[in-house]
Amino acid sequence: MVALTVVDDPDALAAATGLDARDGSGRISLSGLSKRYGSRPDDPLAVDSIDLVIEPGEFITLLGPSGCGKTSTLRMIAGFEVPTHGSLELDGSDMIRVAPNRRPMSMVFQSYALFPHLSVRENVAYGLKLKKVPSARLHDEVDTVLTIMNLMAFADRAPHQLSGGQQQRVALARALVMRPKVLLFDEPLSNLDAKLRVQMRNEIRRLQRRLGITSIFVTHDQDEAMTLSDRIVVMNKGRIEQVDVPDVVYRRPASVFVADFIGRATFLDATVVATPSRGRTRIVALGTEFETASHDAVTAETDALLMIRPESVRLSGRVEADDVHDDVGRVLTAIFHGDSVEYEIETDSGTIVASVSDPAVDDILRPMDCVRVSIAPDRGWLLPRDTTDDTGVVPDDRSTQNRRTRTA
Amino acid sequence: MTSTLDAAAGAQTTPAVLPPPVGRRAPARKRARADPGVVALGTAVAVVMALLIGYPVLSLLSAAFAPDGLAVLTRIVTEPANHRIVLNTLVLGLIVGAVGTLIGFLFAFAQVRVAFRGKRALHLLAMLPIVAPPFAVATAVITLFGRNGAISNGIFGIKGDVYGLTGLVLVLSLSFFPVAYMNFRGMLQSLDPSLDEAAAGLGASKLRVFFSVTIPMLVPGFAGSFLLLFVEAIADLANPLVLGGDYTVLASRAYLAVTGDYNTSAGAAYSLTILVPALLVFLVQRYWVSRRSVVTVTGKPTGHSEPIRAASIRVPVLVLVGGVSALIVTIYCTVLAGGFMKVPGVNNEFTLDHFRFVLTGLGSKAMSDTATLALIAAPIAGVMGMLIAWLVVRKLRRTAALLDFVGMLGLAVPGTVLGIGYALSYITPTTLFGVQVLPALAGGTAAFSGGIAIVMVYITRSLPSGQRAGIASLNQIHPAIEEASTSLGAASGTTFRKVTLPLIQSALVSGLTFAFARSMTTLSPIVFLTTPGIKIMTSQILAEVDSGRFGNAFAYCTVLIAIVLSLILVINLLVRKVIFRGRTHSR
Repeated sequence: MVALTVVDDPDALAAATGLDARDGSGRISLSGLSKRYGSRPDDPLAVDSIDLVIEPGEFITLLGPSGCGKTSTLRMIAGFEVPTHGSLELDGSDMIRVAPNRRPMSMVFQSYALFPHLSVRENVAYGLKLKKVPSARLHDEVDTVLTIMNLMAFADRAPHQLSGGQQQRVALARALVMRPKVLLFDEPLSNLDAKLRVQMRNEIRRLQRRLGITSIFVTHDQDEAMTLSDRIVVMNKGRIEQVDVPDVVYRRPASVFVADFIGRATFLDATVVATPSRGRTRIVALGTEFETASHDAVTAETDALLMIRPESVRLSGRVEADDVHDDVGRVLTAIFHGDSVEYEIETDSGTIVASVSDPAVDDILRPMDCVRVSIAPDRGWLLPRDTTDDTGVVPDDRSTQNRRTRTA
Repeated sequence: MTSTLDAAAGAQTTPAVLPPPVGRRAPARKRARADPGVVALGTAVAVVMALLIGYPVLSLLSAAFAPDGLAVLTRIVTEPANHRIVLNTLVLGLIVGAVGTLIGFLFAFAQVRVAFRGKRALHLLAMLPIVAPPFAVATAVITLFGRNGAISNGIFGIKGDVYGLTGLVLVLSLSFFPVAYMNFRGMLQSLDPSLDEAAAGLGASKLRVFFSVTIPMLVPGFAGSFLLLFVEAIADLANPLVLGGDYTVLASRAYLAVTGDYNTSAGAAYSLTILVPALLVFLVQRYWVSRRSVVTVTGKPTGHSEPIRAASIRVPVLVLVGGVSALIVTIYCTVLAGGFMKVPGVNNEFTLDHFRFVLTGLGSKAMSDTATLALIAAPIAGVMGMLIAWLVVRKLRRTAALLDFVGMLGLAVPGTVLGIGYALSYITPTTLFGVQVLPALAGGTAAFSGGIAIVMVYITRSLPSGQRAGIASLNQIHPAIEEASTSLGAASGTTFRKVTLPLIQSALVSGLTFAFARSMTTLSPIVFLTTPGIKIMTSQILAEVDSGRFGNAFAYCTVLIAIVLSLILVINLLVRKVIFRGRTHSR
């Protein structure tokens, strides 16, 4: 595990060598960027007119299910794919016509893509040698990066002699040494085991903050996206669903798709009873009338869904089975996670997933127990039902709709 | 025999087309951008390929369809004598295809699945025909089983008649079965042993597993091997000339037309009738059979399966394999020993005359000429094969399949056809729209006594083995490795030089090796291109066998095998130590 911890004060070293000199460059702007892989006009667009501005030094995550166009977008930015339409600019200058090897960007690959015939040091030095950096300086810079990444002990090893985590660090070192304006990450952590993944992502985040390099990170792992990003770009079917900071994306998703993809959510039918004002709407759900935060698109006539996160559901006291109320539910399943218990509870409004943290042994409910269900104040989020339905929500069919609640 | 080399080289690495590495969608692998370097490179390769194979084949076609050739083509259809030749060719192809495939399968099955000692020896034995020149087997078979054969007459006292179909089937099957062996060996090694275990778990006996699981999985292998051997057999020239007797086939008829009747158009016409089925079979094999393969060959054994010890399978397989092996050993011992006998099989007195003739006499020029030309051709063929592989796998999109096909033509076009095509194209200066673009390249009056044409033929014939090996090994390298190089600032050419080439070095070595072995042992295209100024060993052997000096022929064969083996060693050392400084890696 030696290799997994960064040297005591890498920041000082980085500062001393000027590696973290920020010059405020690295603004990327995409407009109308599209990619179609087939040659016929009726082939589907893998990326469908994406508009996005990434500020210098920002850490942006492209998040979405497989096939949503996130990797294609990243590869267009890197220059490995040529956009079908649209423009791509870096600090105001057009990048579309610039060959991938001339773009001031470095990519970290999912498979690490270390050169198997070169040692760790040679891998890191590869790009600088191509730049014809004088050998003394080259040596210094490689040493600095190897030290920052705590790889000095492995400098002369071949990549296949390293563990997965170490290989990933070499890949990162090889990208960093180029002092790119933009760092591109293509699901770099997906080949690591769970624990290592958490360590590496913390390290990536720390380095990126320190060095201030604009970073674009592709992942399908929402945890990664949440913990790493300044802003998350949620993509689906080649389009951007939402761009925002992690807490907003989680608490106030722009669409049912986003709500469903990020975290877990239960959707309940809700009846709007008053015209929304200033982002708040009165509704009836679970047999009670209350006010909740709502999406801008919700109006008095909207066919609306109330999104509830499992941790926002409150369960209070067991009740007798014949105590029939709208807010009483019956436990269908109980799954013990250690730090929490997760229940599926059947109510008149549908099946709700609830998560109770830090449960006491005696309080854990058993299947067939009945409980009173409520929603923590101001934790609901009212969304218009998707018209272009791709999440499996079948309007007018409550049971299907609620079964969709899933573990993301 | 020589034409087994390419196929074997290909089979060694990839009997079936490899799937792209997992983890990336197919379209993302290829760059859409038209890199000017790639365009220039592609154009250069296209021009070279046109000269190497396009122009000769076109010349042959135009000669075959000129009035003279057309008359011969008509006679092939109408005359019973010609029907006989066509029928002979087909029968030979079918029998050799079947017998060779079966031997190859038995050897591979024994090697991979059956428990016995001496697997390494069996493997070397099965590979021996690849480095041996043509005639070695044929001449030895005549010595052993001919009218005065050491075995047929000497032991059993019968006047055996080995000339004709029987002898040809024996010799061709023994010469070509390595192709099938390599093919089946690759497939059997990649068969997932858990399939057998699953069948056994469901209650099937070993024998039942063999017939209900193993054999059905190998059907594409049987089809592919049969087709390849069929083509090898109908295209072979050396053995029918030596051993055919009255059994004339199309290849030997074409040879006689050119060298005996001095009628090149007739030769072109006869060889066209080999070219068409050969190309057809090649296409079917490549684009149909290989697609039907259910066995994915990844180059890595998928697991360890318990070797078969059940007597019901082990005994018959090992008896058959042992019998064939004994025959092969006898034949190559005869080749080796025959070089030291006054008149092999008749007067077995020890002599060094034959080796003196080959090493210091007339033969020494043939030795040095052949080795020189092969040494010039091998690196060119090896590097071109790698370049084509790189273009096909990484750089080209729509034209990739076409370039791959053109490169493989060197293997698909029978040697006789190629040789006649070269004779037609390059004995006179090449003109384009009335302007001379190339001087004469072949024939005694051309530069280097026609050596250029011979080198070109060597390149053409050797290219496919390098290409196949290169494609197989490139498919094993994740495209992200090259993209990483690009991302770090390297242009296409730099990436190829600094990353791709070092990674495919083992494929390059095997490409170079096979290119060299193949050049040294090729005969059928060369007999049409040798000149008094340049002596080629294989055609010298033909001359010796023709005039009955078997001792000299055996000595030539032994020397040739020795040269090929030692140069294979040297090439391996050179490429590893000099070019890549002995750097090792593992992927």
